[in-house]
Amino acid sequence: MVTIFTTDFFFSIFRIATPILFATLAAVIGEKGGVSNIGLEGIMMISALFGSLTAYWTQSWFIGLLIALIVGCGVALLMGFFAFNLKTDIILTGTAVNMIGSGGTLFLVKVITQATEGKSLASTTSLITKSLQIPSWNIPLISSIPVLGKVISGHSILTYLAFLLVWLTWVLLYRTPLGLNIRSVGENPNAASSVGVSVLKIRYITIAITGVLAGFGGAYMSMYYAMGWSLDMVAGRGFIALAAQAMGAGEPLGSMFAALIFGFAQALGIKISAMGVDSNLVAPIPYIVTIISLVIFAVVQRNNEKKRHSAEALQK
Amino acid sequence: MNKLFKALISLALVAGLTACGSGDSGSSSGNGAAASGNVRNVAYLVNGNLGDKSFFDSAKSGLDELEAAGRITLNTIEMGGTDSDKPKWLSTLYEVSDSGEYDLIICGTYQMPDNLKEVAEAYPDQKYLIFDDDTYAGEDANVVNIVYKQNDLGYIVGTFAGSMTLDTSLDGINADKVIGFVGGYDSPVINDFMIGYITGAQSVDPDIKVDVRYTSDYVDTAKAKEYGASMINDSKCDIIWGVAGNAGNGAAEAILEAGNGWFIGVDSDQELTFSSDLAAITLTSGLKNVGNSLVWVFDEWDAGNEYFGQKVSLGIAEGGVGIVTDKNYDKYASDDTKALVEAAINNVNSGDVVVPSAFDANGNENAQTVRDSVRP
Repeated sequence: MVTIFTTDFFFSIFRIATPILFATLAAVIGEKGGVSNIGLEGIMMISALFGSLTAYWTQSWFIGLLIALIVGCGVALLMGFFAFNLKTDIILTGTAVNMIGSGGTLFLVKVITQATEGKSLASTTSLITKSLQIPSWNIPLISSIPVLGKVISGHSILTYLAFLLVWLTWVLLYRTPLGLNIRSVGENPNAASSVGVSVLKIRYITIAITGVLAGFGGAYMSMYYAMGWSLDMVAGRGFIALAAQAMGAGEPLGSMFAALIFGFAQALGIKISAMGVDSNLVAPIPYIVTIISLVIFAVVQRNNEKKRHSAEALQK
Repeated sequence: MNKLFKALISLALVAGLTACGSGDSGSSSGNGAAASGNVRNVAYLVNGNLGDKSFFDSAKSGLDELEAAGRITLNTIEMGGTDSDKPKWLSTLYEVSDSGEYDLIICGTYQMPDNLKEVAEAYPDQKYLIFDDDTYAGEDANVVNIVYKQNDLGYIVGTFAGSMTLDTSLDGINADKVIGFVGGYDSPVINDFMIGYITGAQSVDPDIKVDVRYTSDYVDTAKAKEYGASMINDSKCDIIWGVAGNAGNGAAEAILEAGNGWFIGVDSDQELTFSSDLAAITLTSGLKNVGNSLVWVFDEWDAGNEYFGQKVSLGIAEGGVGIVTDKNYDKYASDDTKALVEAAINNVNSGDVVVPSAFDANGNENAQTVRDSVRP
């Protein structure tokens, strides 16, 4: 008999939520700055590939992580160049990046590593040993607390960073001049421009930040969660992040809870499969949770808006 | 410089001519000798490169064996596996078919059927063999499709895993008689592996439970890792067989992270393709012996049995499937286990044991019923 709510269940919620959280924070900052970066999935794939390959070449996970961030930032800036300077539709640009993230990484890995297909699909798993993975951290005192320690301690250092970044994202958006500029450009670019803010510069900064955050997500996927890059390994987490951003009302803290709900849903699905429920019923659980959450969110938002409208009407 | 170049060109041309000449004579003698079961000319087209430590190398070793025995002349052409090489696959097939030099042209994997179908229909007199694919099986009278019996393979692996999980003297093996199986989808192909696995394990000890999970995915390694972790923590699995493409490797990563338990690979010898950490926890791999299957085809051909226009499923009896028995298998398996595995192979060979298949009538439903009855 399987008990669902064990320590490893709660532990796995954080492990599952981390890559979604990185991408969600990217989506939050992007939306605030009026830059709809739907290419997060593709950026994660590309960062995942270069992160794990660089870790192998340099035999250092740290340099691999750095390169993953740089590559993520670079791809995002390239998207920005197409969208802002060449005036392409940013949604289409994002779609293109997502396609590159799937087919392009496969092409690159074959050119770079000469991996041939055989029956098995291409991956860099054969190159990666445990020492090239981003380490996890057993927090000294907390790890000895009976139940809580097993849930909180022992995660990847990126997991702790992700939750720290929730706070940092909030600070950036609401407590710094740059954050004010990002929000004003997102809210009304003309107004921002009229007071001397360089809209183009702020947009580039915004999309670069989304790229770095997605780069963290990609590095987590290939350098901690799985050993090495493999085809389509991000498997829709970049898209789930867009839903999480919407569910969290575009705010860092709300989006964090949304990402945790996804982690909870998938962890629950896995526990339920342990009880012998048909896999065809288990597989859609995360997506059903998404739809239900989005409906709840939409209803709540509509009610809030109604209240605000009536409040505004009273003031007039 | 120029002169040297010309000289080289003419040399190459002459060499080419002589090669053609010898090829032609070889072909005629081959055709003449075919009746008496002698040397055949074979072209092996690799849609990738040799050195994959998997299907391509396996096929080559089988063909090398035949060549060394003087039964075939072999021309191996590596066409390359990158996207930029793909257009070459079709043109090479056409070229080799057009030359008319070969009694049999061999290729394989799921990437080739479309190319092969086109060419096979353009050259109805040329004979072809494709291994590990049955996309267009039976559609062309000059093509034989070789596939492998997953249920037989599952039976050997299951016997091995069932015996190993009882051997608590080995590190990482716990007292619970539970083994695991991570599949791609709840589909007949995967369930064919699974039913063999369960049957094999229960032949060792009927009390052995099998935890079966499906990732519903062949790419999400991380999800498979979560399933693997749950199998280890919730069901106390100590051996997991991963049959889910790339995603299956996630189960191996879960075992590595948990620090106890063992993984079993599939299709090719994954101990060779994994990095050192993962290879160290991989006990063995269920093999599709492409090389043996090709030797079997030539044995049959020489005996007057031709299978062109058909799909041939090869199992243990034909040597089409097997299990890796060196490296970690040799190191960790007890003599009892090795004897059990050998006995299982012999029993299937002799027909004493008939492994159920998910492809039988109602086979998939039966497999699902059995699966639910052995859940831990």
